[in-house]
Amino acid sequence: MLALLFKNFIRSKGTKVGLIFLLIIGFISLLIGQQFQQKQQNNIVEAATYQKEHIARNASYHKDDLGLLLYYIKFSLVNKTLPINSLAIGQRDVNPSIQNVTIRGLEGQKYDAELNNPNNLLSGNIDFSFVLIYLFPLLIVAFSYNLVSEEKESGTWKIVATQSENTFVYILKLFYIRILSLIVLLTVVLLVAVLFLAIPFDTALLTFYLLGVLYILFWFAVSFFIVSLQKNSNFNAVILLTIWLFLIIIVPATINTYVVNKYPVPEALELTVKQRNAYHEKWDMEKKITMDKFYNHYPQFKTYLLPDKEFSWLWYYAMQQAGDDDSAKESQELETKLQQRNTASQFIAQFIPTLHTQIQLNEIAKADLGNQLLFLKETKQFHENLRLYFYPKIFDNKAVNEENWSKFKVETFTDPSETNLVKTLLPLIFFNLLLLALGWINFKNNKLQTF
Amino acid sequence: MSLHVEILIAKHFKKSVFKNKAVFIITLFIGLLLLYAAFSGWENYTNQNETSEKYQHESREDWLKNPDKNPHRMAHYGNFAFRKSTPLSVFEFGMEPFFGNAIFLEAHKQNTANFSEAGFSNSMLRFGEVSIAMVLQILLPLLIFFLGFNAIATERENGTLKLLLSQGISWKQLLLGKTLGIAAVILLLFIPTIIILVVLWLVLQNFSISADETIKMGLFILFHFIYLMFFCFIAVLISAASKTSKNALISLIGIWLLFTIILPRTTQAIGAYLYEAPSKIQFQSDIEKDILKQGDSHNPNDPHYKAIKDSLLLVYKVDSVQKLPFNYSGFIMTEGEKISANIYNKHLETLLKVYEQQNSFSKAVSFFNPYIAMKNLSMGLSNTDYDSYIDFQKQAETYRYDMAQKMNALQIKYISNKKPGPNDKPLTIDKEHWAEVDEFQYQPKGIVAVLKSEMISIISIILWISFLFVLIRIAAKNLKAI
Repeated sequence: MLALLFKNFIRSKGTKVGLIFLLIIGFISLLIGQQFQQKQQNNIVEAATYQKEHIARNASYHKDDLGLLLYYIKFSLVNKTLPINSLAIGQRDVNPSIQNVTIRGLEGQKYDAELNNPNNLLSGNIDFSFVLIYLFPLLIVAFSYNLVSEEKESGTWKIVATQSENTFVYILKLFYIRILSLIVLLTVVLLVAVLFLAIPFDTALLTFYLLGVLYILFWFAVSFFIVSLQKNSNFNAVILLTIWLFLIIIVPATINTYVVNKYPVPEALELTVKQRNAYHEKWDMEKKITMDKFYNHYPQFKTYLLPDKEFSWLWYYAMQQAGDDDSAKESQELETKLQQRNTASQFIAQFIPTLHTQIQLNEIAKADLGNQLLFLKETKQFHENLRLYFYPKIFDNKAVNEENWSKFKVETFTDPSETNLVKTLLPLIFFNLLLLALGWINFKNNKLQTF
Repeated sequence: MSLHVEILIAKHFKKSVFKNKAVFIITLFIGLLLLYAAFSGWENYTNQNETSEKYQHESREDWLKNPDKNPHRMAHYGNFAFRKSTPLSVFEFGMEPFFGNAIFLEAHKQNTANFSEAGFSNSMLRFGEVSIAMVLQILLPLLIFFLGFNAIATERENGTLKLLLSQGISWKQLLLGKTLGIAAVILLLFIPTIIILVVLWLVLQNFSISADETIKMGLFILFHFIYLMFFCFIAVLISAASKTSKNALISLIGIWLLFTIILPRTTQAIGAYLYEAPSKIQFQSDIEKDILKQGDSHNPNDPHYKAIKDSLLLVYKVDSVQKLPFNYSGFIMTEGEKISANIYNKHLETLLKVYEQQNSFSKAVSFFNPYIAMKNLSMGLSNTDYDSYIDFQKQAETYRYDMAQKMNALQIKYISNKKPGPNDKPLTIDKEHWAEVDEFQYQPKGIVAVLKSEMISIISIILWISFLFVLIRIAAKNLKAI
């Protein structure tokens, strides 16, 4: 029986076209992922060679002035890109994965944007997460909107009802073969991805896969529920597409507007205006004010006294430091707001399976806002370490060639956050069970057997 | 020509549509969504412009408040370009969330446009945004299809189509009548929307509107109207050509998905895949390499700057730069700024060419996809399109360059060429000079420039309309009642 149903399903032209289309676009998404991966890797190589040449060149120009040399040279920190990131590019196209900083004020450098074609950002990537979240549901809807209803409309349902012992089991079987075919498709694409993109078999990949399976099941559960209402095919098609439209565009967009308006970030512009002034005004102030601030922040440098000259690097870097210190409040507020945005959207997303899946996939791929915030934090730490290392050397007027400049390699930040399986999978499991139960109740109430 | 029959058919269709409870609910819902979109667009716009104006003003005050100092320090103090939105962007957000909102403008350095909404959001934004334009361009066509799929197919299924045609109604009258019927329902949503739109738009500008904005608004309304009518015709034509209403529905949904979801993303992705753009690090290191080739002002032995020095010494007949009658380092910085800005602009042009190649696919596809044509046009009219953003960045760069060179000129003119000793006070000029640099004012592209860059979209929409008329003629001749 099951074999026959499967044959009937796969023989239909629409089915074949749909499955092949999805398979092809799945593979295209892997190509796009591969290009993304390569670009990220090239950037890291480029950053490493650039840093090496750049430091060496400047060190040869400014042999006798360490303070001036450090005014110029930049150090890079890379936000590690996992291979699985190619499946869910997330926010990694908007945000730069490499930070380049000098030891001068950080606030003026930290938020430097990546170069981008806004057109690409607007239309979005065709990464695998797009295929999974947008296109799989469309195929699921196309496969199941006319189950039962079509047979009723063509009059064959009565034959089915009289010939099979339990029509409910028959319906389950119809769903079963469809679910199986799409899960096989998901598995095939992901297996190819593993080989093609060198994704390691680890918990991240397993979570990604489980999330994908649950997401597919979610859409089948939605279809199952709609089919259980036993309306005609047209009604089912309209209602399923409307649900898709809601969950894919309208609800996420509405929630986004809500979150953005609830946590506006004027701090960003305030911060950038403030840090400029905070540093520059120190040029025209008593040096003592700046130095007191500096000694307050770094008591360990109190022993370095201001030389009796109009300009000294100690004073200069103390002014730069003041730019950061005086705008620390705004910087902290901005970080808090962004954290709030992230937490709020993650919380709301639990109730919207599409949104939840996208956010979780990005989180697994370390490509969400949370990762970006951690990277910014790490940038601050990285910058602070550079300062603490170089400040005493500059203040001591150490010679440039005393330093082994080649040891300053590009550093890498690895996001340590781990995905919580329960938090990731539970919302989808809950919705799946709920819809299944509701659908089952509908079928029972409608007394299917009487048809 | 009397449209009596057509109007009768239309009225009848409209009545039958409103017998359907689901239609009521959907229409009501879209109405609510439109209100929400207007509200959030308004919030967005006022937030964006208030913040941007506030800090533009504040940073200007800060600039003017600077005491006497060396002009080069002012060149490093720098200015900001904050992006402002145009009134129409309340209805069409376009690419705005992906635009950087602030550029720091200082000497020697072209900074990136930072603080885009997208950078501060998680992936939610990537699902799209609810704006009036989105409702008009994406949701209303779908509603039209939902209303229209059974316009003729159901009559065929019921057998009433034969009756209608045998009563002397021509196919042309039938097609036109049904289209008018759908249009009448859609206008019930469209007209109130437009009224709200215009009122909002007037209030936003305190009722003092420019001719430029008015033309943009007029075209925005006109083209959206044409666009929606186009979908009404498509719905009826597909319905007439389909055997059953189910087939009509499935075909229409397919068309809708293709036009609004699949094609826009894939065509842009193809462009981005084929023409790979350099990343920031690549772009910047390329520029640095070229600047080094031209002449490195930091390198004391650089041949380019040495040649300049030698020729200056020769012309002024002195033996050291300290004896020159003007500020030598100001002169060198002027040259350095010119070289680096030129090289930067050249690289930027190359980069923008790559972007344009990426965009060329989706621009070309607007000939096959009226949605992309409409979207591009409406983004152009609201100055939220690609060209407007590039225009903003270019205006900011011009301002930056002029500011830096102004400060260099002040240095050449007023700063003594003799370097102060280690304990001397730094050389300064009077703070009055700061006001000589004007405030940055972003000028959105005018209607003529917009129409020029969106010519393809307009041609495409006109072609689609003519194609439709041909299609109706063919259909009227060849359609069968069974």
